[in-house]
Amino acid sequence: MRTKTRRVSAWKVTVEIARRDLLDLWRAKMLLVFFIMMPLLFMTMFGFIYPPTVQVNPYSGQIPSPYPNLNLAIVQQDNGQIARNVEAQFIQIAQTQGIFRVKEVTDYSTARNGIVEGQLSGIVVIPNGFSDAIQANTQATIQLTVDQTNPSVAAAVQTEVAEIFGAIQSQISTQFLQQKLDPPVSSTFVLEPISITNTPLIQGVPTSFEYLAPSFMALTVITGALNGVSTAISREKEQGTMDGLLVAPIPRQSVILGKIVAQTARGLIQGFLILGLSILLFGVVIYGSPITMLLVMVLGVGSFIGVGIIMTTLAPEQETAQMMTALLQFPMMFLSGILFPINQLPVPVQYIGKAFPLYYAADALRKVVILNANIGIIMPDLLVLLAYSVVTMGIAVPIFNRAMSR
Amino acid sequence: MLQQAEPVSDSNGYAIETHGLTKKFNDLTAVDHIDLDVRRGEIYGFLGPNGAGKSTTIRMLCTLLRPTSGAATVAGFDIDHDANEVRKRIGLVSEKLIMYTRLTAEQNLNFFGKLYGIDEGELKAKIAELLDMVKLTPFKDRSVGGFSSGMRQRMNVIRALIHDPEIIFLDEPTTALDPQSTKFVRDTIRELKQEGHTIVLTTHIMEEADELSDRISIIDHGTLMATGTVAELKNTHSTESMLEVFLAVTGRELRDSASDHVSMKAVGRM
Repeated sequence: MRTKTRRVSAWKVTVEIARRDLLDLWRAKMLLVFFIMMPLLFMTMFGFIYPPTVQVNPYSGQIPSPYPNLNLAIVQQDNGQIARNVEAQFIQIAQTQGIFRVKEVTDYSTARNGIVEGQLSGIVVIPNGFSDAIQANTQATIQLTVDQTNPSVAAAVQTEVAEIFGAIQSQISTQFLQQKLDPPVSSTFVLEPISITNTPLIQGVPTSFEYLAPSFMALTVITGALNGVSTAISREKEQGTMDGLLVAPIPRQSVILGKIVAQTARGLIQGFLILGLSILLFGVVIYGSPITMLLVMVLGVGSFIGVGIIMTTLAPEQETAQMMTALLQFPMMFLSGILFPINQLPVPVQYIGKAFPLYYAADALRKVVILNANIGIIMPDLLVLLAYSVVTMGIAVPIFNRAMSR
Repeated sequence: MLQQAEPVSDSNGYAIETHGLTKKFNDLTAVDHIDLDVRRGEIYGFLGPNGAGKSTTIRMLCTLLRPTSGAATVAGFDIDHDANEVRKRIGLVSEKLIMYTRLTAEQNLNFFGKLYGIDEGELKAKIAELLDMVKLTPFKDRSVGGFSSGMRQRMNVIRALIHDPEIIFLDEPTTALDPQSTKFVRDTIRELKQEGHTIVLTTHIMEEADELSDRISIIDHGTLMATGTVAELKNTHSTESMLEVFLAVTGRELRDSASDHVSMKAVGRM
C-alpha cells in the first residue's frame, strides 16, 4: 500500500514546526527552569540594590532613610548651651528614627580615621562659635564630612543630615518668631509660605519592583526571543535536522515562521510568569489589562526577533551567533531604561538607548502594568515597535529563505 | 492548488537523470558537468574519495542545494522548477542523524510524517509498522538522544521512509556502525529494492558497494570517472576487487581537503 501524501498548507506546517519547537523546549525541563530563574535573579538583585524612592518632608516629622542606622560621628567643639541643645536634639531625632547611630567623638582627626577605617559614614562638627552666632541672631554653621569613596551613601548622609537640621532649625525659627513678632504670625507662613503635598498616581507605596517588573517582562520577552530564535535555527543547522525540514515538500517560509511563532509563544509565557512571580514574591501590584500587555509583548518580540534571524543567518556558526546576540543584549539592558530610568543617562547615550525597541516595549509595558494606560496612550510606543517589526522581519525572512536554498 | 503535477518524462525508465549538472562554491567547482542516470528500481552505488563531489551531487538531487548550471530530473520532475514534487518522492538518509534528540522516537516520526501531510490514522499505522520493522517498538517513548548509534541509524532510515518515497538516497548509511547494525541496514536496503524502490547509495566501504549495487559510478574532482555494473568495472580493470577498481580510477594519493564552510554554512556542505 502506498502512503498518500497531501500538500499541507503553509499555516499548518508553521503550526506543526512551532509545536515541535515548544515540545522540544518542554522536554528540556532544566533549561525551562533557568529561563525563568535568570530574570528573577536579576530582578531580585536590582530590586534590593536600589533604595526605595522616598518623599521627604521635614515638617512631617518622619524622615525615611534608604540606608538606616549608618554610623555617624558628632564632634562638639563649641560646648555652649545652644550647641549642646542642638547636639542633643540631633542625636535624639537620628536615633529614634533609626537614621544614624551617632557616636560622640572628642576631636575631628579621630573621627576622620573612623571614616578611613570604614567604621563611619560621616562626621558632623559643631564648630566653636556656634552658640554665639545663634545668640547674636546670625547664621551659624555646621561642618559635614562624608565618605566620598561611596557616593550613594555619601549622598544619603548629606540629605539626611540636612533633613535633621531642617527640623531643628525650624524649631529655632519658630521660637524666634514667637518672641519677636507682634502680633504673632503663624511661623509656618514665614518659614514655608507654600507647601507641597503629593497626590499619588497610584495607591500604595511604590517600590523599585514596580519599576523593574514590567521592565524585566519586556527584557525577558525580547532577549528571550532574540536568543531563542538564534539557538533554534543554529541547532537545527548544526545537528542536521534542518535538512529533514528542507527535504520535505513544505512551503519554505514555514520553517522560519514556525520558529517565530514558537519563540513568540515562549516569550509570552515567560513574560507572564515573570509578572506572576513578581506579584507573589515582591508584592508588585498590577493595574493594567493583560490583553494590552499581551499586545505590547507580541509587538516587542516581533520588533527584535528579525535581528536574531539576520544574525544567525549571517554568522558562520552557533558560537559566533551567540556572541553577536550577547553584544546587543548588554547595551540594551543598560541603556534602554530597564534597570534605571533613561533620563539618568547623558543625552547622547539616551539616543542609543532609544534606538533599541526594548526601550519602547518596556515604556509601554510599565505604563500599562502600573498606570493602567489604555492602547491610545501607548500608541506611539506601539507604532515604533510595529515599524521595527515590519522592517527587521522584512529583511530577515527573505535573507533566511535565500540562505536555505542556495 | 491541489492539481496533480505531471512528470516531465516518464518514458525512459530512469529515476534520475542529470545533464551537465554543475555546482560552484565561489571559485571552487565541486561538481563539474555531471551526466548520470539511475534506472528505476536499481541500487546505484555512488563512490568517490572525500571531497570528490558526492555529497554535493546528492544534495542537489535532494533539492537541498541549487545547481549553478545544468539540469536534473528526479522521479520525472525538474529539481529546480518542481522541487516540491521531487521532495514528495524522495527520502534522504543523511550522514548526520535527522532526528530531534530531545524528542521520543514516536514524536520524531510523528512530526516528520505531518510535514508530508499524511493522514493522522494512516501516519499512526505507518509509524507502528516502521518501528516494528527496525525492532524499535519497545523504545518508541524514549528520547532518541539516548539511543545507541545503531538504533539512531535505524531511526534515521525509517524517518526517510515515512512517506514511502520512490527514490531513497543513503549517504554513508553504515559508517561507524557495529557489524550487527551494518548487516541490518544492508538487509533493509535489499528489502527496499525488493519493494521496488530506487536506491542511491554513497559509501566508502567497497565491499558494501560491491555487495549491494546493481551499477556503480565513481566520481572524482567533480567529474564522473567511470560508470557500469560491478562486473563491467571489474572486467575493465581486470581485477576481482572493487577496492582495486576504485584505486585504479581515482589514484592512490591521499585526499586532504579543508573547507571554510564550517558546519552552519554547511546547509551548503560539500
